[in-house]
Formats: sequence, C-alpha cells, structure tokens
Amino acid sequence: MAQLLVVEDDDRIRGAVVRALRERGHVLSSAAAGLEGLRLAVDGTPDLVLLDLGLPDLDGVEVLRMLRAVSAVPVIVTTARDDDASVVRALDAGADDYVVKPFAAAQLDARIRAVLRRAAGDADDGAGPVTVGGLVLDPRSRRVTLDGAAVDLAPKEFDLLAHLMARPGAVVTKRQLLAEVWQLPYGGSDRTVDVHLSWLRRKLGETAAEPRFLETVRGVGVRLAVPAP
Amino acid sequence: MRRQITLLVAATTSVVLLAFLVPAATLVSRVAASRALDAGQQQVQVLIPSVALAGLDDVRVAVEVAVASGRRVAVVWTDGTVLGDPSAVPDGPVGSTAAQEESADGTRLVQPVGRADGGTATLSVLVPEEEQRAGVTRSWAVLAGLGVLLFLLALLLADRLARSMTRPVRRLADTADRLGAGDRDARVEPAGPPEVRAVGTALNRLAGRIDELLTAERETAADLAHRLRTPMTALRLDTDALPPGPARDRLVDDVDALDRTVDAVIAEARRSQREGLVAGCDAVAVVADRIAFWTPLAEDEDRSVTVSLPAGPLPVRLAADDLAAAVDALLGNVVAHTGVGTAFAVLVEARTGGGAVVTVADEGPGLTTAVLDRGVSGAGSSGLGLDIARRTAEASGGGLRLVDAPGTTVVLELGPPADQGLSAPR
Repeated sequence: MAQLLVVEDDDRIRGAVVRALRERGHVLSSAAAGLEGLRLAVDGTPDLVLLDLGLPDLDGVEVLRMLRAVSAVPVIVTTARDDDASVVRALDAGADDYVVKPFAAAQLDARIRAVLRRAAGDADDGAGPVTVGGLVLDPRSRRVTLDGAAVDLAPKEFDLLAHLMARPGAVVTKRQLLAEVWQLPYGGSDRTVDVHLSWLRRKLGETAAEPRFLETVRGVGVRLAVPAP
Repeated sequence: MRRQITLLVAATTSVVLLAFLVPAATLVSRVAASRALDAGQQQVQVLIPSVALAGLDDVRVAVEVAVASGRRVAVVWTDGTVLGDPSAVPDGPVGSTAAQEESADGTRLVQPVGRADGGTATLSVLVPEEEQRAGVTRSWAVLAGLGVLLFLLALLLADRLARSMTRPVRRLADTADRLGAGDRDARVEPAGPPEVRAVGTALNRLAGRIDELLTAERETAADLAHRLRTPMTALRLDTDALPPGPARDRLVDDVDALDRTVDAVIAEARRSQREGLVAGCDAVAVVADRIAFWTPLAEDEDRSVTVSLPAGPLPVRLAADDLAAAVDALLGNVVAHTGVGTAFAVLVEARTGGGAVVTVADEGPGLTTAVLDRGVSGAGSSGLGLDIARRTAEASGGGLRLVDAPGTTVVLELGPPADQGLSAPR
C-alpha cells in the first residue's frame, strides 16, 4: 500500500484513476490544478505523485521543476504527448517515469510499483541484479550475462527480458507485455511481441522449438522458465 | 552565370575593338602611302624648272643628284634619251598632263614638261611599294597590341563584375539547397544587386513561413493527441473497472482497437514532422532492414522467405520511419494471418517514372479486397495495418494494390522524391 497523489485536471480521468488505484490498495489524494498539487505534494508527503502535464494553471513540467526544488518524491508523468521531445523534457525536469495516455489501470499500477521499488532500492543503496539460472540481468547498468558471457540486447529486448525475469515461472500474456513494455494497445494481429521474443531467443542461444528460458504457452503468452538446478 | 557574363563582355569588346581597329589600320596604311606619294610629288616639283629650262647636261646632273639621294627618278629627253633610273620610266604612252601610273613595283608619278625649245620631256618618279608601306606594319602591330591589351583588360573587369554579381546568387542557391536538403535553419544574408537582395529577403521569409507552419502543425498534432487520448484514458479506465465477463472482454478489445486507430491518426498527423522539409529514403535499404528484423520470427515459424532486392538504391518520397512502419504492417499481416510454415516473398523493384514497387506475397488463404476498402477494422483484422500502408504509399504519390488469390499479394507503389532542381550544377 502506498500513499499516492494524483494531479490531473480532467475530472473523469482523475476520478477513474483514484477509484482504480484505491481498488488496488493504495491511499489516494488528488488535485485538479498545478498549484494545489504542489501544496499537497509538499504538505501531504505522498510516496509517489502522478502528474499530468496539461494542467490549467501551470505547465506540468514547471510544476515538476518546482516540486523537485523542494522534494525528492518519485513522480510519474501522465500525458497525451508521446513525442520524443516531450518525453525528454519531462524526464530532464526530474520525472521518474512516463506513462502515455490512454493507460490501463493495471499498467499504471505496475509502473507505480516499479518506481516505488526503484525508490526503495535507492534508499537501500541500489537494487541488485536479477538472476534466473545462468541468466543475470542488472537493471542499473542494463547489462545481461548468460553463463558469464555478455549478451548484447536492444533496449526493448532488455525491457522485455527484465519484465519476464521479474516474474520467473509466471505466464505473462502478450497483451500485458505490449501494454507494460511497449505502452501499446493490444491488437489481435500484432506480432511485435513475437518478433522481439524471436530476437531474444536468438540472442540467448535458443529456438522456439528448443527453448531454454523463453517458453511459449500457446494461446496464452510466454513464461520465463527457471531451469532445474 | 559568371561564364556567361564574361563571354558577353568578350563578344561586346571584340565588336567594339574591331569597329575601331579596322578603320584605324586602313587609315594608317593610306596615310603612309599618301606621305610617300607626296614626297615623290615634291621631287617632281623640284625638277620641273630644270627640265623645262636647262640644257641636257644640266638636267642629267640634277637627275643624277636626285638618284644619288635615293630617289628613283628618270627623264625622257625630247629626243628619247633616258636620264636617271630607267626603272622609273613609264611603261605606257605619256599624255599631255600629269598622271599617276600604278604598276607592280610601285606608283609612277609622270609629268610631261614643255621645253622652251618646243619639245616635251617626260619627268617621272617611281614611288616603290615598300616606300608607300613604310611603318605600316609597325603601326598595325601597335594597334593589335593595344587591342589585345584592351580585350584582356575588359575580360578581367568582366570577371570581377561577374564574381561580384554571382557571389550573392551563389549564396542564395546554397541556402535554397540547404533548405531543400531539410535544414530548417538555413537563411541567407541578403546581398548584391537590389533584385538579388529582394530574392534573398523573399527566400528568408518563405523559410520562416515554412518553419512557422511546421511548428503550427506540430502544435496541432499535439493538441489532437491530447483531445483524443484524454477521453480514451477515461474510457479505458472505466472499461477496466467493469466486472470480469465476456461483455467486458469485448469492450476491452473494442477500446484497444479504437486506441490503435487513434494512434494511427496521430501518427498520420505527425507525418510532416517526421518528414521535415524534404521526405526521402532508400526503399531498398529500409525494406532490407525490416526483412532482417522479421527474419528470426520467420525462422522460428519455419517460414521460407524469398527476398529480391535490386543492387542499387531506390529513393522514394517518404521518411524512413514511415516506410518501415508500412513494411512492418505488411510483414506483420503475413505473419499474423497465415499459418506457421507458410512461405512469403518480398520483392523490391524500380517503378516506371521513378520510385519503387514493394511487393509482399504470401501463400496463405488470401484476404478479400473488402479489407482494404474497409480500412480501419476491429481487433484481429489486418485492416488497420493495410490502411497504414495504403496511406503511406499514397502520401509518397503512389498507392496500394491488393491481389487476391492464390494467396495474398500486396503491391506498394512508392513515388520518387520531389525533384530537387536547386541542386543543378552551376
């Protein structure tokens, strides 16, 4: 459970986010404008702030800069703008993560948990590498080794592997992967996940017919298998 | 331009110099001849009194003195005796008045002289051709030298002038080239003649206007994204909140499909941002890159892939990202809509009139052309992917054709890049 502050000017979205996150066990407070959000962020000391960039009184990036001047609270920016310049601008201003609208409640919750984990990791002086069998993934240096040898992965391949390694043995659906790794809506004909899985398999030295780590569960999704010791 | 100006000045100078030098040369020649003949005439006048009044012996002495001084003088005495230089004696009959006789060796000045004793002696002076032309060659050489000097001077001045005129024009052309190549910051400092300065100012104004329009379009696209995605977010969150069941699943699928369509609309609105001032990429390189991207999945699914790419590049009027998205949509459709193990082929060839033709053919069950007409469709369909590919092809000046049965063949016709005539050699 975490105490969250939602800064969002659209009543419907603010209400829906508050309801969805409350159902997932978080404690919510909310603000409809930048200044009010700043006041609540400073006074209420939330664990995390969800900040919309399109606010009526202040530009969201300005709110973020002002907040960063007084607080190190983790901030996830939520915005309709997904162009590179907007993403870079928000991250440079101090955002910890970036969620493009429209987002699903589950995706938002997953990102909140990830940012909170990272924030807790910072407090503990760093989150350690994740190890599954001979596969080691270090989220800080974004390096992967397989049986001691470095594996060169593209950014999305790394994110995909990191997502699967965070849930070893669990089946993850393609819909979940597309939403949480790519922030894309699912379409029945979408093969983005499959083609990246094929690349990942190739780089991990396995094939779909003879998988070692990446097991396809037909009709459901994919699972990172934990090899027997 | 510099060459043309220099050539124009060279031609003009040549005409002026010819108009001046040819009459001058003729005049020099005539003056020299006239001067020589005048000297001969003077000699005639000096000898006339002697021939008219003195005796034969005195005349002989006077003539020999003249011959000794270099004159070619002869006197045919009343009895036919020739005194002096025989070559000066006239060839033809002599009239009763003074005459001038032209011959191969020069001009003879013939003067009949009536004697006091009643007879007529003939006094003649030969002015040789070389004497009439004395100094002419040297004068002509001086005139020719002067002409060449003036010509070279004119060329030098013309080149300087041409340079000063073409430099601002060259800068204009360079700026236009940079703008054409997509450099939105390219501007020219107006310089040179007023007309060229005016063109420079107009070019800067035009570049500024294009920049403004692109910025406005970026803002419009951002606004569109905001206006579409905000209600989509509420819709998605509300759908998520519904109790699990078939109705919720259907709604989630519908929202996904709507979301993808909104993404496609926003991506389309951002096309001009991706393209900048000039859209262009090599279709062969982009297709090769996308085939490489899809190959691992094709191999995992035991699909045989036949690829045929030309050796050289085929430039098309599209941003590389847009063409890549279109090719991904087509290859993604093949992988999604045909069974594992189904072979497919990708062919890239030059298009008549420029551009490229990308053909993706598979041996699957085939799509109906209605899919293309429908454009956007629900989850699980290939409609949106084909719609993206069709819009991309049309944006390049081409189009998309769907050939149904056997299997499915999608033909993407891509137009050539806009003619960048500004890059013509100068």
